[in-house]
Amino acid sequence: MRSCATAAVLALCAALSGCSGSGDSGGGGKAVLRYTWWGNPDRAARTEEAVALFEKQHPGIDIQTSFAGYDAYKQKLATQAAGGDAPDVMQLDYRMIDQYASGGVLLDLAKQRSALSTADIDAGLLATGVVDGKQYAVPQARGTETIVYDTKQWKATGVELPREGWTWNDWADTMRALAKKSGKPGGTDPGWSEDAFEVWLRGQGKNLYTKDQQLGFDADDLTKWWTFTDKLRREGAVSPAEQTTQLDGTVENTPLGRGGKAISDNNWDAPSSGFLALVPSGVTLAPMPSGEDGTPGQYFKPSMFMGIADNSGYPEQAAQFIDFMLNDADAAKTLGATRGIPVNESIREAITPELKDFDKTVADFQASLDGDLNAPPKAPPSGDNALQTTFQRDYDQVSYERMSPREAAENYITEAKAELRS
Amino acid sequence: MTTTEIPTASRTRQDAAVKKPPRRRREGAAWVFLSPWVLGASVLTLLPMAVSLYLSFTDYDLFNPPQWVGLRNYTQMFTEDPRYWRSVVATLTYVVIAVPLQLGLALIVALALKSMRRGKGFYRSAFYAPSLLGASMSIALVWRAVFNDGGTVDNLLGTGGWVNQPGWALFAVALLTVWQFGAPMVIFLAGLQQIPSELYEAAAVDGASRWRQFLSITVPMLSPVIFFNLVLQTIQAFQVFTPAFAVSAGKGGPADSTLFYTLYLYDRGFVASHMGYASAMAWTLLLAIGAVTAVLFRTSRSWVFYASDTDGGA
Repeated sequence: MRSCATAAVLALCAALSGCSGSGDSGGGGKAVLRYTWWGNPDRAARTEEAVALFEKQHPGIDIQTSFAGYDAYKQKLATQAAGGDAPDVMQLDYRMIDQYASGGVLLDLAKQRSALSTADIDAGLLATGVVDGKQYAVPQARGTETIVYDTKQWKATGVELPREGWTWNDWADTMRALAKKSGKPGGTDPGWSEDAFEVWLRGQGKNLYTKDQQLGFDADDLTKWWTFTDKLRREGAVSPAEQTTQLDGTVENTPLGRGGKAISDNNWDAPSSGFLALVPSGVTLAPMPSGEDGTPGQYFKPSMFMGIADNSGYPEQAAQFIDFMLNDADAAKTLGATRGIPVNESIREAITPELKDFDKTVADFQASLDGDLNAPPKAPPSGDNALQTTFQRDYDQVSYERMSPREAAENYITEAKAELRS
Repeated sequence: MTTTEIPTASRTRQDAAVKKPPRRRREGAAWVFLSPWVLGASVLTLLPMAVSLYLSFTDYDLFNPPQWVGLRNYTQMFTEDPRYWRSVVATLTYVVIAVPLQLGLALIVALALKSMRRGKGFYRSAFYAPSLLGASMSIALVWRAVFNDGGTVDNLLGTGGWVNQPGWALFAVALLTVWQFGAPMVIFLAGLQQIPSELYEAAAVDGASRWRQFLSITVPMLSPVIFFNLVLQTIQAFQVFTPAFAVSAGKGGPADSTLFYTLYLYDRGFVASHMGYASAMAWTLLLAIGAVTAVLFRTSRSWVFYASDTDGGA
C-alpha cells in the first residue's frame, strides 16, 4: 500500500508540474498589451522598430513583445490560450484559426470595427480569417513556397537553373545532378514537410482536405510521395535523415542554413530572408515544381494572421495596434516584407517600388507568379495542427529506414483519421 | 485472570473519560497545524487528480466542454496508436539502462569517497554539483549542443551527432541522468558510514579479501539503502521529461527513439490538444508505476536485509 501511495504521489507530481507563471508588470497607468509572434531575428528587429513607432504615436499604450521559432511558439500559445492567458494580440497561422476561434479564444473583430479597418484587404484573402461567418483574424501578409538556393554554389555546378513550370521529375533530376557535381545533397529532403506534400498533391489535382474537412488523399498517394523522396535520399540527392530530422521550420536548422550542408532548401518565401545571414554569398528564390501536366501546386497563402484575445483587457487598443500594423504607411515601410508581401493593396502598391534587398526579391518572386496559381484551399481543420508534427514523425520512420513508405503512410492515415474524428 | 482484568478495564474507561476533552482539543490543534498541507494536497493534488480521472473518459480539447466517450481513449491507446507503444518501449529501455548505470556509478563513487582520508567534503560537493544543475533546462540544451553533429563529442570521437541517430540518442539522454548521480551517492555514503567497522575488522582477521568483504558485508548491510535508491530512481526514471524534451528539441526524435512516455503525454495534451487522451495516459502511467513499485517491494523480501529484524528476533 505504501508503495502505491508513494508511486501515486510521485507520478502525480510529474503529471501536474508544468510551466507556469507570467509576471505582468504594470506600466504606470498605461494600457499594457502583450503581443507575440513567431519569426526570425530579422523579423524581430523590424517588428520592434514598428512597435516603438506605435508607442510613440500612442503614449498611453505600452506593448510587451515576445517571439520564438514556429514550433516553440505553437506550443506556448496553445498552453497560454488553454490557461485563459492568451496574449492580447497574437500572430496566428492558418492552421490555428479554426481551433482558437471555435474554442472561444479569439475576439470577434466585428466588435472593434471602428478601430480596425479592413477595407483595403483583398476580399478573398480576408475571407480566410472567417470561421462560422465571423471574422476572427485578419491576414497580415501573403506568402508562397519556394525552392531557395545558394546562388553561387548552384551556378558553380553548371547545372541548369530552375524555372517556372518545372515538374517534380525535373526537380529530382536537378537534385541528382547537383549532388553529382558538388558532392553534397542538392537540397533538403522534402518528405518531412506536410507543406511540400500539399504542393505535390495539388500538382495532381488533389487536396490535403476535402470540403467537409476529411482527408483528401489516401495511403497510395502518400506512399508514392514518400517512395519518391526516400529514393532520392538513398541516392544522396537530398539531405540524409540526420539532417532532415532536425528541421523545425526555422531556416537556421535547414541543411542549407547549417553551414551549407546542401545547395537548396524548400521553404516559405518571406522567412527565407533569414538565409542571408547564413549563406554569405546570397540566395535566389525559384518556384516550386509543378505536376507532370504543368498543374501548379503552390498557392498564395495568407502567411499569417493577427487576432485579439477574447478576454483581453484592452480590446480597443489591441485593434488600434493591428490597424497600425496593417494599414499604416510608416509601419509598412519599417516592416517591409518581413512577414510576406502585405495584403493591404494600397500599401502593397505604395511600398513595392521602395522595397530593397531581400524584400524586393520576395516581391519580384511573387509578382512573377501572380495570376498563374490556383486559389488557396479552405483553412485546414483544427486537427491539422497536430498532424503536421505527426507527418514529420512518420517520415522519420521512413528516412531512418525503420519502416517502408507504405507502412508509414498507412500509419499516418490511421492517425489522421483518429485526429479528424474527434 | 478475570479478577485482575475487570478493574483494569474500568480504570482505563475512567481515564478515557477524564482525558477525552484535552485529546479532542489537541486533535483540533493538529488539524490547524496540518491545514496548509491539507489544503495544498486537496486543492493542488487530490482535486486535479479526480478531475484528470474524469477527463480520461472524455474527449476534451481544452477550449470546448469535455464530451463523455467512455473507454475510447483507453482502447485507442492500446489498440490504435502505434506511437503509444513506441513511447512505452523507449521509456522501458531508458529505465533499464539509466537506473542501474546511475546507481552503480553512485555506489562506486560513494565507496571511493568513504575510504578517502582528505578532501572528502570537496569531492562530495563536486560530484553532487551536476544534480543541482541537472534539473535545469539550460544544461539539457548544452547537452544537445555537445552531442549534436559538429558538437564536442562529434569532433572528438568522429561519431557524428548522437542526438540525430536513433540508436544513440537515448544514450545521450541516459548519460545526462547518469551524470546526475549525486543524490543517490550521498544516500549511499550515509548508508556506508552506518556499517559498523567491527564487521570489517572481524572479516579481515578471518582473512576475507576486499571483494569478499564487499559482497558479504557491504552489500547486505547496505541493501535497505540500495532498495530505497532503486525504488526512488526507478519512479523518477519513468517520469523523465526535461532532458528528453530539450535534447530532442521537443520532438522525441529521431524516429521516436527518445519519445518517452511523458513527452508523448505532453505532446498529446498540449500540442494536439487531446487532454482526455493525455489524462488517460497519465492514469495508465500511474498504475504502471504503482505496479512496478509493488513488484520491487515484493522481490525486496528476498534480498533486502534489515538488521533490526534479526535484532527483534533475538
